[in-house]
Amino acid sequence: MNKLIELLKGLRPDIDFESEKHLIDDGILTSFDIIEISSEIQDEFDIDLTPLDMVPENFQSADAMYEMIKRLSDEDE
Amino acid sequence: MAYSSYVYLLLFLLGTFVIYAILPKKLEWVVLLLSSILFYFATSGKLILYILISAMTVFGGALFISRADSRFADLKGGLERDERKRLKKRFQRRKKLICYTTVLLNFGLLIYFKYSGLLAETANGVLNGLSLGQPFQIKKIIMPLGISFYTLQAASYLIDVYRGKYKASRNPVKVILYLIFFPTIVEGPISRFDEVGEQLYSGHKLSYKNVTFGLQLIFWGLFKKLVIADRADILVKNVFSNYGQYSGIIIILSVLLYTIQIYAEFSGCMDIAVGSAKMFGIDLPQNFRQPFFSTSVNEFWRRWHITLGAWLRDYVFYGASLSGWYKKFTAMIRKHFSEGAVKLILPLPVLFLVWFGNGLWHGADIKYIMYGMYYFFITCMGMFFEAPFAIINSKLRIDTKTRGYRIFQVIRTFILVNIGMLMFRADSLNTAWQMFLSSFKGVNLSVLTDGSLLGLGIDICDWSIIIFSVILMLTVDILKEKDFSIRETVSEYNIFIRWGVYIAAVVLVVVFGAYGANYNPVAFIYAAF
Repeated sequence: MNKLIELLKGLRPDIDFESEKHLIDDGILTSFDIIEISSEIQDEFDIDLTPLDMVPENFQSADAMYEMIKRLSDEDE
Repeated sequence: MAYSSYVYLLLFLLGTFVIYAILPKKLEWVVLLLSSILFYFATSGKLILYILISAMTVFGGALFISRADSRFADLKGGLERDERKRLKKRFQRRKKLICYTTVLLNFGLLIYFKYSGLLAETANGVLNGLSLGQPFQIKKIIMPLGISFYTLQAASYLIDVYRGKYKASRNPVKVILYLIFFPTIVEGPISRFDEVGEQLYSGHKLSYKNVTFGLQLIFWGLFKKLVIADRADILVKNVFSNYGQYSGIIIILSVLLYTIQIYAEFSGCMDIAVGSAKMFGIDLPQNFRQPFFSTSVNEFWRRWHITLGAWLRDYVFYGASLSGWYKKFTAMIRKHFSEGAVKLILPLPVLFLVWFGNGLWHGADIKYIMYGMYYFFITCMGMFFEAPFAIINSKLRIDTKTRGYRIFQVIRTFILVNIGMLMFRADSLNTAWQMFLSSFKGVNLSVLTDGSLLGLGIDICDWSIIIFSVILMLTVDILKEKDFSIRETVSEYNIFIRWGVYIAAVVLVVVFGAYGANYNPVAFIYAAF
């Protein structure tokens, strides 16, 4: 989780990823932030995201992103 | 067979509904399939063969992809991680080959039917410029009905199966019915197989609410099409065909009326489509959500032709953003540019693809491509100037959260959309440009009162009906924006009030519809795409 928070802070230092729970609903992240985050997550965690993973629920908070990473890593195992 | 015609409403839809209601639930899909085939045949004749063959390639391609998934699932058990990854890659390659081939085949047919004229014209232009003559003949090809909508649905089904969103259907009937369902084949909404595939196939118990709600939507759609759009068309056609004779307010008014016309017509057609499906108990996706309350063009496109925007987002925007070439592009840009510049440059190629695709999808003409590029340009400008505008607003202490600022944004968006509509409606880019320029010339408010407006093809009665109807349409949109359901509210009143409203709606359409001796029937604009 710490690795993810570091990654997110590197991309958007202006956002408090530890407390924000509605990053998409509140319009904090744009679609291009999501693309950037997805690209970094794929490289950092060695997983493949597909367009099917690009749904708001997976990017609402750092926790949601972490859950997605865990799920995709487990699928790869 | 236009959705607003007597043949469709009183013969086709009513007849299908009666048979649907009589037959047992398990045979209802047969009625929908046969009526969809009949509808297609009645409109496009033997071109139905093209659509059926194409549907079978889609069905077969998707099934092959799903089988590859199942085969991989069977084989991967017990393998080491690396070996499993290698196997997955192998199957992925097979799936990709089939998916790409089938999608390209279907888009190839779309290109042949819709774009071969534009391609031949462009190639002739280039070759002529090189003094090589004009070797390509430009033939007029009759397009199969709804091919642009059909192809997007077909591609979405194949790509969704390829991505593993759901498994391919083993039943060809389900796929064919999904692709050619008669209420959606002409102008959409561009639905997804997981939204409607099962609904179309499984039977539905007839419900009073579904039938009445469906009929109400149909009448609301007819009202927008026949009372507003077809009446506005008379003036729009007159001014756009003779634009050299007009300037200033008249040009502005004709563009404004065209925007109203296309909204009333396209959203009206969607109401008829959604209402027709609703009568059978089938829910189609929404295609419009009060687009003229948008505060930016991006928001406008999330509210206008929603299913096209969603298609471009899911299959072009996300597809390109997660692709290998985009990753390489991202790495290259990050290496050479500062963080601020990276944020501005990275979106450009995918946004270009989305807007180019949007423009080209609308028609085989350079003006439609430029229409897409117009929105690409506005989106880019919005991105580039976001930070400077934020600073200016802060320095000038402009509160962007106020109602006044929101109204300013809505009006700004509306003006930008109207300029786009001018490009969309004009015969050519040159015409659009000439009309744009002449809208600034001779702006004289007296034309509103000196009788000039009565010499544009519509009389005072038509004007009154248009103004009253647009106010009514706007009021309904405001109520919808506030989540107020008119249909639910009316349905809660007693039978006299309820039916009073229904009868008034029917009378309104029958009495004030722009049809009959003094009016020419107007084809649905989007049906030509």
